[in-house]
Amino acid sequence: MSPAAIIVALGSFVLGALLALLMIPVLVWLERRVAGLIQDRLGPNRTNIAGFRLGGVVQSFADVIKLVLKEEYYPAHIKTGRWLLMLSPVITFAAALLAFMVIPFADTLYIGGEALRVQPLPVDFGVLWYLGVGAVGVVGIFFGGWLSHNKYALLGSVRAGSMMVSYELPLGLSVVALILTYNTIDFNAMVQWQSGTVLGFLPAWGILVQPLAAVILIITLFAETNRAPFSVAEGESEIVAGFFTEYTAMKFAMYFMGEYVAMNTASAVVITMLFGGYQLPWVGTASMLTHFDYYAWGYMVVLPLIVFGVIRWMRKNNRVRPTVSTDGGRGFETKVLTGALIIMTLLIEGALLWVTLLPEGTAAVATAVALLQIAVFVTKLMAFNLFFILVRWTLPRFRFDQVQYLGWYYLLPLALFNLFVTALVVTGGA
Amino acid sequence: MPRNVKVVPRHGRETKDRFYLPAIYEGIKITFRHFFDNVNDITAVDALEYPEEQPGDITERYRGLHRLTHRPDGSVACVACFMCATACPANCIFIEATERTDGVDEKMPQRFAIDTLECVFCGYCVEACPCDAIRMDTGIFSLTGRNREDFVLEKERLLSFRGAFGEEDSRAGK
Ligand code: SF4
Ligand code: SF4
Repeated sequence: MSPAAIIVALGSFVLGALLALLMIPVLVWLERRVAGLIQDRLGPNRTNIAGFRLGGVVQSFADVIKLVLKEEYYPAHIKTGRWLLMLSPVITFAAALLAFMVIPFADTLYIGGEALRVQPLPVDFGVLWYLGVGAVGVVGIFFGGWLSHNKYALLGSVRAGSMMVSYELPLGLSVVALILTYNTIDFNAMVQWQSGTVLGFLPAWGILVQPLAAVILIITLFAETNRAPFSVAEGESEIVAGFFTEYTAMKFAMYFMGEYVAMNTASAVVITMLFGGYQLPWVGTASMLTHFDYYAWGYMVVLPLIVFGVIRWMRKNNRVRPTVSTDGGRGFETKVLTGALIIMTLLIEGALLWVTLLPEGTAAVATAVALLQIAVFVTKLMAFNLFFILVRWTLPRFRFDQVQYLGWYYLLPLALFNLFVTALVVTGGA
Repeated sequence: MPRNVKVVPRHGRETKDRFYLPAIYEGIKITFRHFFDNVNDITAVDALEYPEEQPGDITERYRGLHRLTHRPDGSVACVACFMCATACPANCIFIEATERTDGVDEKMPQRFAIDTLECVFCGYCVEACPCDAIRMDTGIFSLTGRNREDFVLEKERLLSFRGAFGEEDSRAGK
């Protein structure tokens, strides 16, 4: 292995871990802040370190400290084998984390004739890995509910299990339809397939090529992540807290974080399979490599505009509300953040400018393209995570029988029908 | 049909509704609009910034912290009859009675304490009291402390609270 290969492999692994783990506090913050703003509340905005509130993200870290320091409580009947109780949330968490690791963050890098995958686990059977490893998460929920020796917990885990049985089928079938369309089980090849156009002008994204499979996939993934409106494994009005009733402090936090990692993973899978992954619409990697200058210039124009917007928003909104006078010091935070943003923008602009001056085809250009694609990927990931949160605060929860009804009576036949039609189209009716 | 009755049509039986997705789309639109309006101007969010801003609209019927009332002459109204302690579902009222020597009545509490960590603020004690000696009209909705003892309100503390809604003078005994 050449040094470049080692750097890329390590880099993508670190990036994957960071994207999955750092996303947790950000998602917790998003969930609380966005929920607040949706419901005309403010959400957490007080916690600060030396006056820096960062809009409330600091609250997530305070939460972590709180959860770590909380009293560990075990159900009385558990005399031995507490590690098994602790293991269950870890299974859920690890499954979601491992499933995320096969998502490509950028197209294959060609450096010195070597093809390097920008994928934490550089495998070419990503879809199978996701389906296999992702489904293990429910085992952790099952174990947790069963070990708790608590009727509510048991009910919660049974409900989670039965929901997995009913939603894994349409999920698998819609994925099979997508596999037939793309003719691959490699996430990266799927993204490459989506860089073309359909009907001459629309980007060939999965959601446009396979709308029915897309809807089924998104719905079933909501069910897979156990999130509202399909959060039947929990639910305080019916079964107290469901499968994590007996879980306290960090053990609970593991389940909690597992849910966010699972949601992040589901978002990544959806954008990779349906929304063109790391690619801009209409733009393939080849065109980015040959016309890198144009894209770099475009980015250099767009980035300051975005940063300018952010700064203006911050100056307008990062203020102490007029009704509250006891709290000063946000002006300083705004100033420091403005400075940091400007310096960051200048650095990125400078780096891009430098790369555009290099002859095309060099490793630096290829790397810059990969970084641009990573930026696109992260943007899409955030957008879809936001969609997850919007849905949660929009839809009421389904009753358990409604969940089963939707799964078996609507989604399964629809997925079968879609698979049938796809097969006919792909084989040309032969 | 009586007047002022609004008949709400039942929704959800049409094909469009049963298909769900249009409704979800509509819902997300509303959610998103709220979100976007508020992000655009955070100062427009009509929320109370609690510790600095205090609520000014507590209704008179709000069950706040308890207090012990006074007689017109300023002495303790409670006659230590144990009715409130008997009615309390949380068993959090502790009364020790003693003989009353000031000539106003025969009995008074030596100790009267409410453990607010146990109390469920049901108001049964107020209902049970035969001489209006205990009330929950202080309007105090938040009690903070650093240890458990801070939350056990003793007689002196209960007597020191004032009614928040202009009924300062207890009508006990009148
Ligand atoms: S409010 Fe209810 S629980 Fe509290 S002291 Fe009175 S009777 Fe007891
Ligand atoms: S507060 Fe009222 S009910 Fe309770 S002991 Fe005193 S007089 Fe009796």
